[in-house]
Amino acid sequence: MPTYDGIGKSWADEVEQEGGLPTPLIHVDEDRKLKTLTEFKINEDGKKVKVIKTYRIDIQKMPKTVAKRKTWKKFGEASNDPPGPNPANTIISEDIYMVLVHNKENQLQTEESEDPFGKLKDKQKMVSCRICKGDHWTTKCPYKDSIAAPSMDGAPEGTAPAIGDDKAKQAGPPGKYVAPGRRGGVDSKTTVGERMGGRDESATIRVTNLSEDTTESDLQELFRPFGHIHRIFLAKDKVTGQSKGYAFINYSKREDAAKAIANLSGYGYDHLILNVEWAKPSGN
Amino acid sequence: MKPLLLHGHERSITQIKYNREGDLLFSSAKDQQPNVWFSLNGERLGSFNGHTGAVWCIDVDWETSKFMSGAADNSWRLWDCQTGKQLEILETKSAVRTCGFSFSGNLVFYSNDQAMNQTCELSIYDLRDSNQIQFNKPFLRIPMPESKITSAIWGPYDEFIVTGHDDGTISQWNIADGAIINTEKAHTKPINDLQSSKDSSLLISASKDLTAKLYDLSSLDLLKTYKTDRPVNSASISPCKPHVVLGGGQEARDVTTTSTRVGKFDAKFYHLVFEEEFGRVKGHFGPINSVAFHPDGSGYSSGGEDGYVRVHQFDDSYEDITFEC
Repeated sequence: MPTYDGIGKSWADEVEQEGGLPTPLIHVDEDRKLKTLTEFKINEDGKKVKVIKTYRIDIQKMPKTVAKRKTWKKFGEASNDPPGPNPANTIISEDIYMVLVHNKENQLQTEESEDPFGKLKDKQKMVSCRICKGDHWTTKCPYKDSIAAPSMDGAPEGTAPAIGDDKAKQAGPPGKYVAPGRRGGVDSKTTVGERMGGRDESATIRVTNLSEDTTESDLQELFRPFGHIHRIFLAKDKVTGQSKGYAFINYSKREDAAKAIANLSGYGYDHLILNVEWAKPSGN
Repeated sequence: MKPLLLHGHERSITQIKYNREGDLLFSSAKDQQPNVWFSLNGERLGSFNGHTGAVWCIDVDWETSKFMSGAADNSWRLWDCQTGKQLEILETKSAVRTCGFSFSGNLVFYSNDQAMNQTCELSIYDLRDSNQIQFNKPFLRIPMPESKITSAIWGPYDEFIVTGHDDGTISQWNIADGAIINTEKAHTKPINDLQSSKDSSLLISASKDLTAKLYDLSSLDLLKTYKTDRPVNSASISPCKPHVVLGGGQEARDVTTTSTRVGKFDAKFYHLVFEEEFGRVKGHFGPINSVAFHPDGSGYSSGGEDGYVRVHQFDDSYEDITFEC
């Protein structure tokens, strides 16, 4: 209640103020343990608003010393703070949970992340032997001793000699030990192995220095103009799904791949300079 | 759980400590004012204004009547907890790195850094003798010429002080004669933090060499080793459960070059005995510099390089965590 202090105030102002802000009402509901505080405020638009705050009364038992400390006056930087937490200093953050870690799971996870190729092998069959088309590196091919190393990189598709079917039949499942005498390559004079039947590695180019945001469709857009793309492989982080910065692009024709290299090597793409080159044959 | 974020510091947190009952939480940072908060609702009780440099270490006595802090402004100060008034000040020759009240609250120690041609020293005062503070004449001063103290706490019964050093050793010093009782080459890299269990029987050391180790506080026998994949800045033992919490993360200077995902800024909970990690709590966006369990074990707090103190109250599900081995 403002009182008349005689300076600079008329009775009219008093009436205005009295009508403006009634005193806050505090109502305590003992049974439901609720405290209701009704305040009146003038908001930014100059309008009077009624603010009702409801508190739950929570009685906690604590040692006397602790209770006493609750009554201590605030000091230092906090000396001007009103009772209760100051929202400038104390923020209630969003709900978080303790993530339970089971060591076994954890181990599995790390194993997986340690072997990204293992994953690729399953999903994309990225590792494929150029000699027997098996699921292993060419250097580890059980037939590699018997077959002369294929003359790589240069050979255009059409010129490669045909493959002896008999060899594939004798080969059996990849990875199994085959005695040297039983290996098919001894009499077959084939040099290029079975790679003609599979993916033509010679028309693959490797793109490095890609930005993290690159997606497969971006690459499609970028490399499509040079010829028909057989396959795009973009290395991605398992967790975030972001690009790891390199990709392999399989063209149907080697000429197209060459064109792409000639045009896009050193091309500025998304603030980075692309590095485009022939993919090294996997395994060596 | 809904953690409370205490944002009362402008720079990275250096140390946080609960008082004995756990109703107050003290925090210090590289800015100049240590703060004290009500741990229940995060309300700030006050700040201790006076230091003119980064505050490295804080401690509060058994009764929560006195509070001390040591800072890089070459001073150690004693404060009144209730009013925040400075009671005593000691000028030191280099930055104060560690400090601590004995259990009785009568004895205090601090150690200063090895800097400015000043060797690292452990100084111990008796507050009952007013001359010791007034004329800066500690009843015991132990020089540490080999390697500076990076962390230190009192042993049980106020008989010795355990110090952790820059070269990874942990030593016990008898405060009766200043002699070394025991020394142990615990870590290969600096020890960032030492904390004892509530009953002063166990000691946990946190080191930059990616491990935290549990020792018997009296005999300094190695009991357990907790291996992590990050430098450990602080470790705390739960007062009621066989749990320890480790806080750490990549070094501050590498943080800007890595994302929070790989920064490893989460607090890791390990089983005390099985040395196995069972839980993680995320939240900080910088390495955690200091962790502390609430003295009743119902929650924990962590202070990070990001300048925030996060006060966690465990969910009910925490009680149900069982350990399968």
